[in-house]
This record gives sequence, structure tokens and C-alpha cells, in this order.
Amino acid sequence: MTVYTVTGGKGGTGKTVVAVNLAAAMSSMTGKRVLLVDVDVDNPCTYTLLQVEPTVVMEVKSFKPVIDDEACTRCGRCVEYCPAHALVLIPGSGLTFVETLCEGCAMCMYVCPEKAITRGGRTSGWVKEAETDSVHLILGELKPGDRKYHDVMEKTLEHARDVWDKYKIVIIDTPPGTGKGIRMALEASDIVVAVTEPTKLGILDLKRLNRLIRMVGRREVVVVNKYGLPGGAHGELEAYLRESRVRWFKIQYDRSLMEAYMSGRTVVSYDPEAPSSRDIRALAEELLKEAP
Amino acid sequence: MEVVVASGKGGTGKTFVASNLSIYIRKNLGGAVAVDADVEAPDLLLALGGSVKERRREAFYGSYTPVIDLSRCSRCGRCVESCEYDAIRMTEDGPVIDYTKCEGLGTCMIVCPSEAIRLVEEKTGEIYVSETRYGIPVVTGELELGKGNSGRLVYELKDRAYKLASEDGIPFRVVDAAPGIGCPVVSSIAGSDLLLIVVEPTPQSLKGSKRLLEVAENLRTDVAAVVNKYNLNPDYAAKIEAELGVELLGRIPYEDVVVEAYTSATPLLEYAPDSESSRSLMDCFERLRDGWLR
Repeated sequence: MTVYTVTGGKGGTGKTVVAVNLAAAMSSMTGKRVLLVDVDVDNPCTYTLLQVEPTVVMEVKSFKPVIDDEACTRCGRCVEYCPAHALVLIPGSGLTFVETLCEGCAMCMYVCPEKAITRGGRTSGWVKEAETDSVHLILGELKPGDRKYHDVMEKTLEHARDVWDKYKIVIIDTPPGTGKGIRMALEASDIVVAVTEPTKLGILDLKRLNRLIRMVGRREVVVVNKYGLPGGAHGELEAYLRESRVRWFKIQYDRSLMEAYMSGRTVVSYDPEAPSSRDIRALAEELLKEAP
Repeated sequence: MEVVVASGKGGTGKTFVASNLSIYIRKNLGGAVAVDADVEAPDLLLALGGSVKERRREAFYGSYTPVIDLSRCSRCGRCVESCEYDAIRMTEDGPVIDYTKCEGLGTCMIVCPSEAIRLVEEKTGEIYVSETRYGIPVVTGELELGKGNSGRLVYELKDRAYKLASEDGIPFRVVDAAPGIGCPVVSSIAGSDLLLIVVEPTPQSLKGSKRLLEVAENLRTDVAAVVNKYNLNPDYAAKIEAELGVELLGRIPYEDVVVEAYTSATPLLEYAPDSESSRSLMDCFERLRDGWLR
């Protein structure tokens, strides 16, 4: 079993497009179903390209305080201790809880001298699943307005770990960034597929991401998506890639890739002979060879 | 006044809109402090041509790490029970913390009857203020690689920008948020006067924008939107305009010159002021001025 984590520092470079197309291409090359794990919990989009509607298999629960107004003396101890400033004492009215800010640490419950705060639960997100002929999809989704996105990511990864031994190929699709959540996804992987684009901002963010990948110590392959983008910073990007001696592949910027994305399909099925489709299959072949 | 530019999905053009909005405000409305709240991938300074002079730089201590003094620990297990993140487990040698799960909020320290746990402050990022060649100071936050608690760093950035704007008499603050709807985005929107959503004509972006609207509703923030790259799919752009249900400032077309402007590290309004995209941006910003910017 090989875990490929598809990531990219900058938003909108094409992580999800690469992840879903790779899953489709690798499945048809190996004749086996691929496990695709979408941990972009803020806005999971893999299922729109797979044209499936995932169903909830698990709720991600967090603590929230339940305040007994009768018992509360408005002493303000919980307000003082809450690390997230989610409890506010409004003069004349009382203790107010702002759920959007709450980190669910339960500190308030323990510091209240009157035991006026007890345990309540809330849903911070969901783990969902869907099946297609070529893909088993496990996906995490953050409930809008909740801030516990790392929790939802972690629970989604844990859920995937329970089953991923059954698969030869596991592909993780991540959110953008270089923080704790990305670190978790990188640590879970054997090979990192870093997706960038030939723009100045893409290069800057790739450099940051590469430092993190080296820190975590994983093998890396760079994918330059939207290769040939008019006006792009191709010279600067290729100079950086040469200098950093990383293996890299391109995916041609073409109309079919765009049209497939807009209509919610994989380009490898929408237009198998498009330059971008050929590039994706070539990438898939190389990645299969990279497997330890 | 503070405007936050965000989008539920990455790559729709937040930094593009935020950098050019800062230029517009600087030229027509007396000046703006720009804030890069995408602390895991900060790009705004580069989009504004880079730093010509750094005004100040400070370390950000955003996280706490609990440390257990085993000589004081009575092995009672209260820390293990009270941790909501299941980050502490009891072993033969006493409680052990899994720092990848720990959020550093300190409930374990509070419940420990032996006072055996203390919190150690940890540096998780940097905050710096740079001058740009356009007369727009940029407050940038950079989270250390692999670290969490980015929401707290965003609060600090917004606080620095507020103080800087008051000291220098600058009327507006433009915040460029991270992609998504998670913790740093909630912090970016909280307390802002207006959320400006940048949406592109794709189903993924519409979905992300709707999720972002739910966050704004929770925080009771005013919302306006621009449709970026509308010409890539005019039909879907029209669908978004009909479905999103927020005040639309206008549509901006995608042109090669937008990418060229980035490649030359110059905001579009400066690089190609007569391009169609620039003129559309100007129309959007004028509508923003008339409706919100005071």
C-alpha cells in the first residue's frame, strides 16, 4: 500500500483536480479501486468531480458548555480562563456563549466554582463516504461556523487509516497551506505530490511548502499545473525547480481541463486525448513506479 | 473601517482583489493598511511589489506547550480524563502527552491537583510591517511551518493594523484572508465591517462561498461579492449571481494581462490601468465606495 498526499501551498493551484484525475487514472492502470481521502474539510470538492453524493458515516463531536443560569453567580472566572474568548459577561444580562469562537477545551466547566457549567455536545463536522466504480471516497467536512477544522481532519484521517490496508493506492487531497493540518497529512504519506502553478505567488508558496516537506522528510514530486499559462512565470519556476533538484512533471493548460472542471468531471474521462489527460496519465505511471 | 476579502475556495483571486483594492483606496480615499491574514501562505506583500523598507518585526508566541513535572505528579489521571483531544495517556512512567494532538489550551494544568503541569510559551510565527512603493503599509503574519493556532495570529495582525492605522491616521484596513472557512478565516471575519467574497464561476467556488456566508451570518457581518474570471463561464457566472443572494459589486473578466501583472510583481491597476479587467475592478470599487466605504 502506498499513500500519496496531494498538496500545494497556494490555494487554487489544482490539488483536487490532480488528486481526482490521478485516482481515476491509477485505478484504470492497476485495475483496482483507489481509496481517495479528502481532508480539505473547509470546502471538500472531490465528490463534485466524481459526481457522487457522499453520506454521513460519523459525526465529529466537540464539547460545548451548558450554562445553568440559576446557579451562575456571574463571577466571571470562566470568562477569564476561556482561552478562546468564547464566553462573555454582559452587564445586566448574564453569561453569553459564542459557539463560533469555542475551541471545546472544557476549561470553563472545570474552573466554575459553582459547578454551573456542565458538558454539552455539538457537531463540529462530519466524515462521509461514497463509492464509484474506480474510487472509494472518504471525506471530511467542517460544519460552517465551527473552528475545529484540525479535529475534523484528524478524525477523517483516522477513519481512513482503519480501512486503507485493503487498498494498493491511497490518495489524500489536502487543503492549501503549510500549517498543522498539512503536517498531519504529510506525516501520513509515503510520497508527496506538490501541485503548483507557473505564477509568482505559486512559486513563493511552493518554496514554503518544500521546506515543510523536507522537515517532515518525505519523498516529493512537483506537479506544475496550468503549464503554458499565458503571461506565467515559467522561467523563474523552472530555474527554482532545477536548483532544488526535485523531480517535476507538467500538466498542460488546455481548454479540455477547464471544461471538464466546470462540468464537474475528470478530464481523463471527458477528453482522454487532450494534452492535459496525457500528462496526467504520464504522471500516474511515474507515481506507480515510485511506489516503495 | 475594515474590509476583509475572503473566499471559501482557494485561487479565486482574493489577493488580486485585496492588493488592487488597497491601491484604489490609497489613491482615492486617503489610504489603507493592508493585512495578510493568509498566514500559512502569505503572498500579499509580493502582490504589492515587495517590501521597500521593513518598519518592524516581532516574534509571535501563539501556542503553549504543557510540560509535566513527574516528580510532583501523583498519577491520579485527572489530566488524562479532562483532555478533550485525547492527547494524554497514562503509562507506567506517568502521563505522556502526544503533542501532535495537543491544542495547548491548558485544561490539564487547571485540573491537576498537584500543580505538576505548567505551560511553556512557544514561538509559532512572526509579524512584520513593511512599506511598499505604493505608500501602502503591509502587516504580514507568517506561521511557522507545521504549526497550529493560526486564528490567534490573525487576531494579533488585525490588532497591529488597527493601531498602525490609528497612529498614522489611515482610514481603511484591507484584510486578505486565507482560503476556506476554518479557524483563521473565522478570526479574519470576526470584528470586520464588511466581508467581500471573491467568487469564480465554478460549482466548487459557489459551494465554498455559500459555506462562507454561513460563517458571516454567525458573526453578523455585512457581505458583498465580486464575480472574478466571469468570462471563463458566463452561464455559470449568471447562475452564481442569481443564487448567491448577496449584493454583487460586479464582474471581472480573466485576461492574460492579469497573470502578466503578477509575473512583473505589479498590481494590475498600476500595470495595465486601461485593460478591461482594470476597468471592471474600478467599477466594483466605486460601487463599494458608494455603498460601504466611509
